Amino acid sequence: MELRNKKWTEEEFFKVRKEVLSTWPTGNDPELDLDKAVAYLKSIPASKNFALKLKDAKEHRVRTLVQPRAGVALLNEHIALLQHLEKAGADFLPSTIDAYTRQNRYSEGEEGIKRSEEAGRSLLNGFPAVNHGVKGCRKVVESINVPLQARHGTPDSRLLAEIIHAGGWTSNEGGGISYNLPYAKAVSIEDSIKYWQYCDRLVGYYEEHGVTINREPFGPLTGTLVPPSIAIAVGIIEALLAAEQGVKNITVGYGMCGNIVQDVAAVRSLQQLTEEYLEEKGYKGCCVTTVFHQWMGGFPADEAEALGLISMSSVVASLAGATKMINKTPHESVGIPTKEANADGIKASKIITKLLEDQTFPESQKLADEIAQIKKEVKCLMDCVYNVGEGDLAVGTVKAFEQGLLDIPFAPSKYNAGLILPARDAEGCVRILEFGKLGFNDEIKAFHRAKIAERAKQDGREVGFQLCIDDIYAVSTGHLIGRTSYKD
Amino acid sequence: MKTIVIGVIGADCHAVGNKIIDYVLREHGYNVVNVGVLSSQEDFINAAIESNASMILVSSLYGQGELDCRGMREKCVEAGIGDIKLYVGGNIVVGKQNFDEVKERFIKMGFDRVFAPNTPIEADLPFIKEDLGE
Repeated sequence: MELRNKKWTEEEFFKVRKEVLSTWPTGNDPELDLDKAVAYLKSIPASKNFALKLKDAKEHRVRTLVQPRAGVALLNEHIALLQHLEKAGADFLPSTIDAYTRQNRYSEGEEGIKRSEEAGRSLLNGFPAVNHGVKGCRKVVESINVPLQARHGTPDSRLLAEIIHAGGWTSNEGGGISYNLPYAKAVSIEDSIKYWQYCDRLVGYYEEHGVTINREPFGPLTGTLVPPSIAIAVGIIEALLAAEQGVKNITVGYGMCGNIVQDVAAVRSLQQLTEEYLEEKGYKGCCVTTVFHQWMGGFPADEAEALGLISMSSVVASLAGATKMINKTPHESVGIPTKEANADGIKASKIITKLLEDQTFPESQKLADEIAQIKKEVKCLMDCVYNVGEGDLAVGTVKAFEQGLLDIPFAPSKYNAGLILPARDAEGCVRILEFGKLGFNDEIKAFHRAKIAERAKQDGREVGFQLCIDDIYAVSTGHLIGRTSYKD
Repeated sequence: MKTIVIGVIGADCHAVGNKIIDYVLREHGYNVVNVGVLSSQEDFINAAIESNASMILVSSLYGQGELDCRGMREKCVEAGIGDIKLYVGGNIVVGKQNFDEVKERFIKMGFDRVFAPNTPIEADLPFIKEDLGE
């Protein structure tokens, strides 16, 4: 099938579906019959529907809602983990999927389950939902009282999407760009967009049959000094691709950069621009919400310092008005947290969202300037994409990455140009020091160059890769900017 | 010039540290063969054979390193490079565990050196120098 940004017909969808369901034995479950799946999803109370809870949060905003990451190999342990996090105050629950499943290596997932049973501890870094199948997924949903979402990093998430949705999970994170370029090295963007058109079409099918399901493009991408405009452009593209397939409830995401004004500006631009583009392209009646990711880069090893960073992230998310926030934990620097550490992260985050529920970041010239800058950059990138795609967004996305007009810093994929280099300016805003072929005009490039030159001058050092490396490490050592002049 | 094979093992796609290790080792005069993220034991070993490498430096950041690294020394022996130096570092197990126990587990698997979470590559350089007889 030729790649176009065009809604798949039911015939096209069901033809591919037959193949998808045959890729692993759990795809044979009779509960994957869509009539049965629709009936099951309709039996789930509204309070456990991800899309409805987000819509309600948007319409009657009280505070930013909190969601952790979490997932282990075995079903009962996974349920115990989620129940512990619900008790700690999580507004939404996740099931983070293990890395073998993300690469469709289900037999290794099976091996991981076996070894975890033997070892008495999880050797997998997440919940292998395909292996546990529809019944396992339903058991998870039935054991908790808040909405549940799959969070992963799977370029080809088609079987996973089928199983989790039929299993009653009412949100799926990911997209054809955001779950490919940061998570794979040799999957073409053309393929991953098709895989995610399938996932979106599945959600569109459910929408047509009276079940609303949330979709969430993964905003932070590589989580490493991603300039806001690049992250936002990708989020908008994935939102538009999803809407074309019939998705109605979309949460666009952003990973904290660290300068508060830039972060607030980014969240507001993300919300406004996504709604504007959806409206402009004719997708009516979509509910757009935002998710703010607490700092995604390297964390301090000290647990109290980590909680400090988590708290700062929560302040920014709250003041920016993000609908939802994904929290980190004091164990972040060593990887996967215990359930106790995860609960601490939730509690530290949630109290701040409650304390700040009546406050927003005040308007200022500085904020307005940063919003204007981000919007200008996003529009420039989006124009490039439509231009090289001769009007087709999906084709344009493939070509824009091929030509480096879109480029994600530090992505491992060979389908990403990987020519741009970011660094912080004198106030810690993420800017770009090497543009590669990025589709910015000269005016925008001049702005970035001046900002980085100002910072390098302050530091008395050259503009180069070392600046970028120092910025990558800086937060874990307790500073936002990787200056060489710090005393502690 | 000594050759070091680097990469990220298993189904792990953490790319940032890998790019930094590549850059820093080159800056310090090593020939670096980078097999990149999502690499199997065979990817590392084949690259080491092809490049006549002195060392394989395995990174794992996602917790499943314990599953991915099993049997790697034996595979090296089978491939005829049993004496090659094997390093592993990153967040190599699931969660916060006692590092001495983790280290012992990986030494038993045949790794020459095991580095704790958050060890910058610069801190490994003296060990690399020593083990390569420089």
